[in-house]
Order: sequence, then structure tokens, then C-alpha cells
Amino acid sequence: MSDEAALEAFRLADSFLPIGTFTASYGLEQFVADGRVADGADLEALLSSYLRRIVGPGDLVALRAAYTATEDEDLDALCTADRRLHATTLAAELRESACRAGERLLRLQCDVGDDPFLEAYAERVRRSESGDTPGTYAAVFGACTARRRVPVRRSALVYCHTFVTGLIGAAQRLVSLGHTEAQRALIALRPAMIAATEDSADRSLDEMTPFAPLVDVLAAEHERANRRLFVS
Amino acid sequence: MSTEDIEAPYPAFEAYADEPIPQAAPGAPGKEGELELVFAADGGRTRLVHDYARVPYHVSGTLAHDPHSDAATVYVQSPTGGIAQGDRLRADIRTNSGAVASVSTGSATKVQSMDRNYAAARTSLAADPRSHLEYVPEPTILHEGARFSRETTLTVAASATAIVGEAVVPGRLARGERFDFERYFSRLCVDGPDGLLFEDATHLRPNGPDESNEYDRTDEAEGTDRPGPTAPGVCGEFSVHGSLYVVAPEADGSSLADRLHERVTGAEREVRAAATTLPNGAGALVRALADRAETATETLHEAWDGARRELSGVGAPDTRRY
Repeated sequence: MSDEAALEAFRLADSFLPIGTFTASYGLEQFVADGRVADGADLEALLSSYLRRIVGPGDLVALRAAYTATEDEDLDALCTADRRLHATTLAAELRESACRAGERLLRLQCDVGDDPFLEAYAERVRRSESGDTPGTYAAVFGACTARRRVPVRRSALVYCHTFVTGLIGAAQRLVSLGHTEAQRALIALRPAMIAATEDSADRSLDEMTPFAPLVDVLAAEHERANRRLFVS
Repeated sequence: MSTEDIEAPYPAFEAYADEPIPQAAPGAPGKEGELELVFAADGGRTRLVHDYARVPYHVSGTLAHDPHSDAATVYVQSPTGGIAQGDRLRADIRTNSGAVASVSTGSATKVQSMDRNYAAARTSLAADPRSHLEYVPEPTILHEGARFSRETTLTVAASATAIVGEAVVPGRLARGERFDFERYFSRLCVDGPDGLLFEDATHLRPNGPDESNEYDRTDEAEGTDRPGPTAPGVCGEFSVHGSLYVVAPEADGSSLADRLHERVTGAEREVRAAATTLPNGAGALVRALADRAETATETLHEAWDGARRELSGVGAPDTRRY
């Protein structure tokens, strides 16, 4: 990986990146409200399920397809991967949070760099009211990293890292979790992040099988929760 | 041409497909079930205008007990007592323009233990313009060692609606069998007039490396076991999972989801269920998790009844098993 690409990967992995990740908990808030996540160990077990049951067989498959499509400068194939992930994400809040983060990242990348391909993609996302393409975070992330020559495997790992740090950050606002404990969880989840990355490697879009019904149920309950710190 | 020749297996099942089975060959008579049902509107009623069933499918006409006066009901029966290794099942069910039909099964589908090959079912559902199609079979029970691949497609035309639902029971729970099946793949793909609306796919291999790729098949993944079906966030402490998909692109999905959510939640329920809106304005989804098949089925029936009332003003039919 070139130094430029490495620095781009660091920038995208940084929680300093202004894409509003801190507003989403992807259902975690409801797991806390339900008493299912009370400490670091509970959090680690749940995030392991997210990584291996949702991110690996879902998001990362779309990310890789979006990455390849972008390398080929094939905007239609990029939109196909984007739409497919969106159609496979059945809990509304998870879908909305993914699109919100994706839209912000895409706008940011368009604002900071002169990139006609990403501009064209952003234009299709803006037209998404007519059902064009939703701009999911994973597809946008795959496209942005491909444009900056971050290798695809690194891209997938950075995606896992940002997903996990986002949720650990949310957890720190929801349960008593010290900074050292948070770092411990982040390190302990490395094998699951690597496995999720591997798991997505040989899958086509026809082999996306995200399965976490309890996450779906709790995310749907969260839609109607009275007290909410997070939008998902 | 046998059903098997028509379509290739899901990749994870390819290795099973070459395994010969000691009894009848895959796709042999009795192993290759076929079902075709076509419903048509006929002056304010719905008639079954085409039906063809080959063992292990059996159909004995329509029932007219549905509270919706236009509707026809068919219970598909299985004289063989379940799905066995090597079985290849294909079902095509269609409602022609304006027809209202409901298809279910007479009893739970038992996917039996297997040690060779696998069983596969492909169901294709189509709702023509302004028709309403329901496919809500009794639960599928995955016995110890079962290998089952199921693919369902649904196409809804303009102004058509559909309700599809089912519960999956991971074993003969009463005898302590739970998540002992070998492999289960299930995919529902739903298309509207403008293409893909949503897709729900599940691939479980509870007692082994569980996905199709080489990484999980080898021991490289050692120390990073995939959280099994009972992991937090997956099924958790529950055994049975079920879903009801209410496909109604012209309805207000969010108010539909709210109504369904009210129907499936309540303090005294032994089930954890919730409703959400489907992607692409397709309608609403109810997910349910329960300890027993009956509670999951009752919850899905509540949701079905609620969806019926929202869409057509009358409730779902009672289940009839005779």
C-alpha cells in the first residue's frame, strides 16, 4: 500500500471523520435498555455476532463488489451492489443509519477531492427518490477506498474497525465502560474482524446471508422506544 | 428434464449433490415433487383454474371458509410425512388478475435426518395485477442432520399484494433436539414491477464451519468460531424464528408496520416480536422469536390477521386442518 493510501485509510478510520457515526447505535441502545448488554464482556459477545452475522456476510460483500465496480469505473455495477445491500437490510433503522453515514461520507469525499466518478455516483444517490441507488455506507466506503487505492482487504478491515469503534463509543455513553475496557474489547474483537473480512472474500452478491433476527427485533423496538439517545 | 437439471444448487450444497443415495435417486419418481396452482377471478369469486401435483405434494381442491368472500384457500398436503434426502421440490403458485387466494400446508413440514445428498425446494410465487396471494405454510422442522436448501421467489405486479410467512423450528424440541441439523439455507427474493424490492437470506450450519467459502471450511478460522445461532443478537435464548412479509407497495408501510407491531407485542406474550418497514417501500415485516413453534405460529397468525384487515378490511381465515 502506498503511503498516500495508508494515510487515506487512517483518515477514514479516524472517529474525527465528520460523518455523524456517533448518532447511530445500530440497535445497541435497545440491547442495553433490555438489560442484554451491561458490561464489556456482553458488548464483545454482541459485537462479535454483528461482525460475523451481519457485517461479514452482508456489508463487506457489498463493499467488495462496490470496490471492484469502482476499479472498473462501472457506475452501474456499483449501484447494483449498493441497491442489493439496501434490499437485504430489513430493519428500517439499520438501513436509515447506513444511508445517512454513506451519504455524508460521499458528500465529504466529493467536497475534499475533485473526483468525477464519485460526483457521478453522488448524483445518482441524490436522485434516489426515484429508486436509483441508496448510498449505503458499505458501498460508498468501498467506492471511496477504491478511488484512493487503499487495497480492498485493508478497506474491509478499516470498515470493521470504524463499525466497532462506533459501537464501542456508543456503548461508553450507554453503560459504564472505562476507556481501558473499551480498548480491551476493541483488541479482543480483532479475530472476529479478520474472520468477517475473510468470510466476505469469495462471496458474490448472490451469497449475501446476513442473519441476526434478534438484532432485527430489537432495532424495530428501538424505532418506537420513548427515550432515545441514538437515532438507531 | 429433472428439477435438479433446471437450476444449480446454492454453492454450499454442491458437494452434497454428488453423493449417491441408497434408495431412490434424486429426482426419481416420488423424489421430485411438483406443484402448480393457478387462481383466477371469476365474477366476484376466485377459482382454482389449474392444479397439478406430483408426490410428495398432494392437493384436494379448494376450501371457501375464508372471511373474504372473493378468496379461495388451498391446503397442500404431503402423503410422505416429510422431506427426505434427495428430494427436489418445485412449486409454482400464481394469482391471475384480480384473484384472491391463500395457500398453506396441512401440517408442519418435517425435514428428516440425512446422511447423503440433501433436499431442496424451490417455490415461485406470482401475483398478477390487482390480485392478492398468500403463502403461509405451517412451520418447517429441521430434524437432526437435515440438509435443506430452500429458495422462494415472489413477483408482485402493479397494484398486487402478497403475504408470505413461515416459522423455522430447529429440531424436535420436545425430545431435546435443538440446532442439530447440518445445514439450512433459505432465501426469499421479492420483485416488484421495477425490480428487486427486498431479499432475506439465511445460511446456518450450527455444528461446524458454516459458510460456503474456503476459509470457514478449513481450520484457518480456528479460534474465531462464528457465533452460532444461539449467540447474542442472533436467536439468543430463543429456538424458533419466524417472519411474516407483507408486500404492499402501494400501502403506507410505516402505518402498516405500526399496526402490525401493536398486534404482535404485549406483556403476556411468550414471544419476542416486532414490526418494521421493508426496503423500497415494499410494505412491512414482522420478525418473531419464540421458544415453541405454537407461540411463533400464533404470533404470525396475529400479524397475518392484522395485515389482512389493513389491506382488505377482513381478517385472516382460521386454520383448518381436516
